[in-house]
Amino acid sequence: MKAVILAAGEGTRLQPLTESRPKPMLPVGNRPLLEHVVEAVIEAGIDDIVLVVGYRRERIQSYFGDGDAWGVDIEYAVQEKQLGTGHAVLQAEGHVHGPFIALNGDRIVGADDIASVVSSLKETGETTLAVARAERPSEYGVVSLEGDTVVDIVEKPPRHATPSDIVNAGIYGFAPDIFDALRETDTDGELAVTDTLERLAEEKAVDAVMLSGRWMDVSYLWDLLRVNDHVGKAAMADSARVSEAATVVGDVAVGADARVRPGARVLTGTALGDNVHVSANAVVSNSIVLPDATIGPGAVVRDAVIGENATVAANSTVEGGDADVVVGGRVHESVRLGAVVGDNARIGGAATLAPGTVVGNRVDVETGAHVEGRIESDALVRRA
Amino acid sequence: MCGIVGYAGHHDALPLLAEGLSNLEYRGYDSAGVALCADALTVYKTVGEVDALHATLPDASGATVGIGHTRWSTHGKPTDENAHPHTDCTGAVAVVHNGIIDNYDALKEELEAAGHTFASQTDTEVVPHLVEDELADGKSPKEAFEAVIERLEGSFALAMVVDDGEEIYLARQDSPLCIGHGDGETFVGSDVTAFLQHAREVTYLENGDIAVVTPDGVTVENDGVIVERPVEQIEWEADAAEKGGYEHYMLKEIHEQPQALRQALSGRVDEMQGTIDLGLDLPEEYLRSLEEIQIVACGTSYHAGLYAAKLLEDHADVRVTVHVASEYEFTGGRDPWRTLVVAVTQSGETAETLSALNDAARTGARTLAVTNTVGSSVTRAADDALYIRAGPEIGVAATKTFVSQVATLALFAVHVGRTRDELSTSEATELLRDVRGLPGAVQRALDADEQVREVAEEYADFSAFFFIGRYLGHPVALEGALKLKEISYDHAEGFPAGELKHGPLALVTDETPILAVLTEGARPDQTLNSVKEAESRGAPVIGCHSDDHGEKFIDAAFEVPALGEMEPLVANVYMQLFAYHVANSKGRGIDKPRNLAKSVTVE
Repeated sequence: MKAVILAAGEGTRLQPLTESRPKPMLPVGNRPLLEHVVEAVIEAGIDDIVLVVGYRRERIQSYFGDGDAWGVDIEYAVQEKQLGTGHAVLQAEGHVHGPFIALNGDRIVGADDIASVVSSLKETGETTLAVARAERPSEYGVVSLEGDTVVDIVEKPPRHATPSDIVNAGIYGFAPDIFDALRETDTDGELAVTDTLERLAEEKAVDAVMLSGRWMDVSYLWDLLRVNDHVGKAAMADSARVSEAATVVGDVAVGADARVRPGARVLTGTALGDNVHVSANAVVSNSIVLPDATIGPGAVVRDAVIGENATVAANSTVEGGDADVVVGGRVHESVRLGAVVGDNARIGGAATLAPGTVVGNRVDVETGAHVEGRIESDALVRRA
Repeated sequence: MCGIVGYAGHHDALPLLAEGLSNLEYRGYDSAGVALCADALTVYKTVGEVDALHATLPDASGATVGIGHTRWSTHGKPTDENAHPHTDCTGAVAVVHNGIIDNYDALKEELEAAGHTFASQTDTEVVPHLVEDELADGKSPKEAFEAVIERLEGSFALAMVVDDGEEIYLARQDSPLCIGHGDGETFVGSDVTAFLQHAREVTYLENGDIAVVTPDGVTVENDGVIVERPVEQIEWEADAAEKGGYEHYMLKEIHEQPQALRQALSGRVDEMQGTIDLGLDLPEEYLRSLEEIQIVACGTSYHAGLYAAKLLEDHADVRVTVHVASEYEFTGGRDPWRTLVVAVTQSGETAETLSALNDAARTGARTLAVTNTVGSSVTRAADDALYIRAGPEIGVAATKTFVSQVATLALFAVHVGRTRDELSTSEATELLRDVRGLPGAVQRALDADEQVREVAEEYADFSAFFFIGRYLGHPVALEGALKLKEISYDHAEGFPAGELKHGPLALVTDETPILAVLTEGARPDQTLNSVKEAESRGAPVIGCHSDDHGEKFIDAAFEVPALGEMEPLVANVYMQLFAYHVANSKGRGIDKPRNLAKSVTVE
């Protein structure tokens, strides 16, 4: 059986980090979200994978290649325009010939859960939807069941009107006739898988599989830190070098050829990507540092995401903690986010970043400046 | 240059040979063919790519032994007749051949005088006719083959089968051949990629070897004495070379550069101490006593050599000369004992580079191979080998191997400079910081792919392209022009920027874009003078620049992040993308440009 993984989306709510990479390539525990999904699929016994790619697909293709490094076959289907999950599944039509499962490339799910969808699909050969109980069902597609049959799906209903606490868990089992069903669904431009499932549910043609319901997904920048903290990651690459006079404590991932210099402290919840450089006496805690970034001597970086090839120069401070962060006009109150520093940005020496600061890509923050709020990409921040 | 495959086993040889030819297709491709030994010898051959041959083949054959060939013309045009395998007058002997037989004129005259009829214009065809005569004298196929090899001059890899035979006969002289050991079956290839999905235990033949291949294995003789050649285990995957979602291998390989660079640097750099560990056996005293380093290479590797030469001279204070391998001679005024000859070749099989290296070794100079291919001929010919670890490169136009060569040689320059006490720890640390910054900076250039595509499409139909740069920007200008001409077939030339006004400026018009390297390490302010000269003749200017150099004079700008002497290398990545998109917009066969082959194993 093949697995079709939907990985074409951009993830606009995760800007600036999704300017140069698609959302599924955001790393948690030093590995892209998509790799966690791919590994769960493999653990569930599937070794033929179709990745539906689109936005910034080079990043995915260069990372996964033909799947050799995972001992599986990976093929690519291209979704040129991101016209919804249903449209994405349609792009895989030429790559699958029998029953297959489909799932999202940016939601980490358990291998057991995938395996139970696979076995249900093998048994019935019918369209299968994985469901789970959720604490806040109104954020998902809420599912109504009669026995094991789905009778209704409502996307993100108002909190007071949720018909149940059972939601769509985002793993689907399909037979090839799903492609016709997708094509026959009316759309207003975008086609979601659930549009088609709603229609099929009316005909009572969708089986439900109840899962244990543990999954992790990333909607906002701070979710990255939360998920990063939850995935088991303690690992040190052979080629990484940590000075004997440095301290690495707790659940920390250190990537290939990363360097941790004397006196530096890398504390729990942190993932240092490949070729990251943590200079002498720097402190990095509960943070994601993307490949090729440099943390300067004496810098303090807490609860932060530091972009690829970015520099946080000597004695700069990201103090960390909770903040109110605005995304797309909506205020998210007291979320834990010290700061996000975009790719190739440079935070000058002794600069300070207030909690919740989001610095765009290639921004140049001058020495000693204080930054808060959201700084657009390519800006120059002068010292006031 | 061309590809050879062979199979002796118990399965149908035809599909295995056809698959092997497809695997080798990138090496040469203007004609292809196979010879199958069943009761009689059957030959299928045709002009065109391997796909054209596939169309003429039956689905199956009864043969379990056979040889095949994919050809790139050296003697005689690509025609059905000139395609290999070649046979004798009786059709009982079939031969495939890579390389050149220097004395074929004389042999052919002699054979024609004796009544042989030649079907092709190739040098190869003399071999089956000579074998025919020896067989007629009552010799066994093996004796006949040996007697004929004895008479050949030149460089060759030869494979022969005879009708109702169960063996393949091989001879190697300056052209690579290897043997894959399967289970009750044996494979032959000019390159391991021919059979890697079936056999991972490989024996490489050496010069002067004559081998007889059977389903059970191989017997190798050299100078009439049976010799044991070691069996090596190949670790990498054949299908690591598949396209992985990209339209072309070249684009895939361009996008693999950050990872290739990380691999090139991994575990080799200690920037705290400013030291480099390349695992080389070059003694410190030797490096201190060096008077000259000679770099020999061809094509893209030559440009990497030019880049490295400047780094070595600057940081290791040693005289460096860079030689096009086909022009190389170990000439006067040099002490071989104080000269290190560095051969740079991606494949490790480049015939001219190998021959230059062997010339140097004969004088007593110490030799070092810088290559991407473990176990290749150059690693066996040189005293020491330094691997660039770029992973398999299939696109004929070299991309990731260029940046990996330069990065690896930059580490070598630091190593030599530190050993010779010419480079302080802090200078080394600074340089190494720039080298380590390459993966991130190259990724940034790749992220601007869309912008490069737009610029490339805007200028794709202009009449000629001139690439200019100074100092480290000069080799990058040469390489940029080479990429464009290789894959887009446009007229492109690279110059040291100052040379523009000494001639080429006469060609500059509003129809000839100038691509300029305006970064640190490329003397941007001086180069800008040349940009202005061109601009005032109406030429559009495309600049790869850092720190806004020449902002006012550039029509399209590609940003290079601050990276010291490594900046021109990042500029090169933009030029690769530019060449790719120009060629792609014209629908060129990017991975297999006309008339070119990946690894040039003839001189």
